[in-house]
Amino acid sequence: MRYGSAIAALAFAAALGASTYLRAAQPAGDAVTRGRAIYQERCVECHGVSGKGDGRASAFLTPRPRDFAAGRYKIRSTETGSIPTDDDLIQSVRQGLYGSAMPAWSTLLSDAQIRDVVVYIKTLSPRFMAEQPAVVSLGPQVPSSPESVARGQAVYERMQCGKCHGSDGRGANAVATDFQDDWGQPLNAANLAEPWTFHGGSTSREIYLRFRTGMSGTPMPSFRESATDAEMWDLANYVGSLARKPVWSMSADELKAQYASEEAGAKADPVKRGKYLVDTHLCAICHSPIDEQSHLLRGMYMAGGQVMRVVPFGDYPTANLTSDKATGLGNWSDDEIKRAVTRGIMRDGTRMPPYPMDWTAFSALTPDDLNAMVAYLRSIPPVSNNVPPPTRPFLPIYLWGKFKMLMLQVDPPIVIFPGNVGSAGGSR
Amino acid sequence: MKKILKWTAIAVLVLAVAGFSAFLYFIPPFFIAAPETFSKPMVDAAPGVADIKDPAERMLAERGKYLVVTGGCMGCHQTPGPQGPDMTKYLAGGMQFHTDAGTFVTKNLTPDTQTGLGGRTDEDVKRVLRCGVLPDGRVTMYRLMPWGSYSSWTDEDRHAVVVYLRHLPPVRHQIPDPVMQRTPFKTAGAMEEVYAGRDYSVVK
Repeated sequence: MRYGSAIAALAFAAALGASTYLRAAQPAGDAVTRGRAIYQERCVECHGVSGKGDGRASAFLTPRPRDFAAGRYKIRSTETGSIPTDDDLIQSVRQGLYGSAMPAWSTLLSDAQIRDVVVYIKTLSPRFMAEQPAVVSLGPQVPSSPESVARGQAVYERMQCGKCHGSDGRGANAVATDFQDDWGQPLNAANLAEPWTFHGGSTSREIYLRFRTGMSGTPMPSFRESATDAEMWDLANYVGSLARKPVWSMSADELKAQYASEEAGAKADPVKRGKYLVDTHLCAICHSPIDEQSHLLRGMYMAGGQVMRVVPFGDYPTANLTSDKATGLGNWSDDEIKRAVTRGIMRDGTRMPPYPMDWTAFSALTPDDLNAMVAYLRSIPPVSNNVPPPTRPFLPIYLWGKFKMLMLQVDPPIVIFPGNVGSAGGSR
Repeated sequence: MKKILKWTAIAVLVLAVAGFSAFLYFIPPFFIAAPETFSKPMVDAAPGVADIKDPAERMLAERGKYLVVTGGCMGCHQTPGPQGPDMTKYLAGGMQFHTDAGTFVTKNLTPDTQTGLGGRTDEDVKRVLRCGVLPDGRVTMYRLMPWGSYSSWTDEDRHAVVVYLRHLPPVRHQIPDPVMQRTPFKTAGAMEEVYAGRDYSVVK
């Protein structure tokens, strides 16, 4: 049976997506016009047409894409509350933001093009017209040395960096590691042992700048008032010294130890591991209904209700995966959830087609990972959204479709509808 | 006599149509077989990593294999054959997506130098998985290639995925470029359709 070929369902915002796929017209006119042309081709998928950081892909990304309309930036060389310099913006575009979905554009766009894009981005916020960037003055750099690192550790403890980043820089004993930024979007405290994920880069100067300037819109403050320049350089050296080897330069023994410690961490915190699995295993793409512009419906994360029409077998609305007792997974047993995920059998015993829900792939998940997944699903805040059962089309249509599939070997197409058919509304 | 024959023929015909309809109605489309009938071949088709000599690389590839198999790459990057996915061509691509924006064909992910990822750097592959940006700077649609989800992979897991992809047996399988519709916005906001076809050799 030629089942797999229609897992294709994942692909449905195609009509709109063309804007990012088509090559733009020949650039012409002034820098703003040229920048806008590049922006609309390269940037809108994440940052949105209006630049508010609400592109179609934005809801899946942590951290979220920057909201250019607000004019507040994390990665700057300017005082807290100030706008960034042009060079800051150019550097972020050129180098990308590590540990996020922002790529390094230096190999993809010319310097002139990057400058044009930055000129355009600045027009999206009135702040750049009204204000001047207040560049910070860096004190003389303190070169890294064991003494400097030791002094930096004392600063780390005095500043209570460990409250968020952990006493070891890896989140140990942290009071909180999951945050929201000023826009209510999820945010993680950086793991200081993994410098390749530092958004603004991992040189001493770049680390220094992050706590010298603070990261606007996030809980990361500026330490300008509470530490001297030299102390901040020491702190930068200390943070630099926390770095561990990345897996791509590890020996077999180191790798073994690393994976063992990851496994132990997953066992200790299954919800965190489960979130990682759910985020990376495409669940949200179908189980969170979208509007007609392919944006996630507000407050409907994982609440299901998006119709997948598997022609001719009927309309399959995606299930409500939140922990709601009445309409979500609240009353499912662990085994029922795992059976649905790995074998495509619904709670009442009916079978799911092998697509669009990709349970054939999920069948290879390890028991530990399945437990973690279930633990995370149980922690999703409940959303009441009563999703109707699958429906079957008019009988002759059903029979004709089945005839085509079984006898004529025509693949069943899948049609995916925006909107929510559940009780929570926003129906198509 | 003639009349009886005629009525018998009609009755047989009606019965045959009714019986065939009933057969179509009751035969479960996919559901005759146990779930494992579908899932096991898909999982087992993933090439192993035991032949990798370097132990560190083998461990990375093992991790990458787990992520590739459970991450559902084969759902779209399979090579359609006459009887379902061609399991001998693991991740050689070729599944077709007809959308309102145009027709897209999934890429060949094997390390073949001419038709697969052999000519791409690790950075190119990672950039697509992390940022959805192709080597020429174009942005892929996250609904088509769900990079928005794979973007949540840690850099280290993403590296493991690339290590595994580099160890797949290379398959020479030329994938045509996408064919865009001339008026891609005509149905924006309306129902959007996706078909998965298996006739991947001709793209119109």
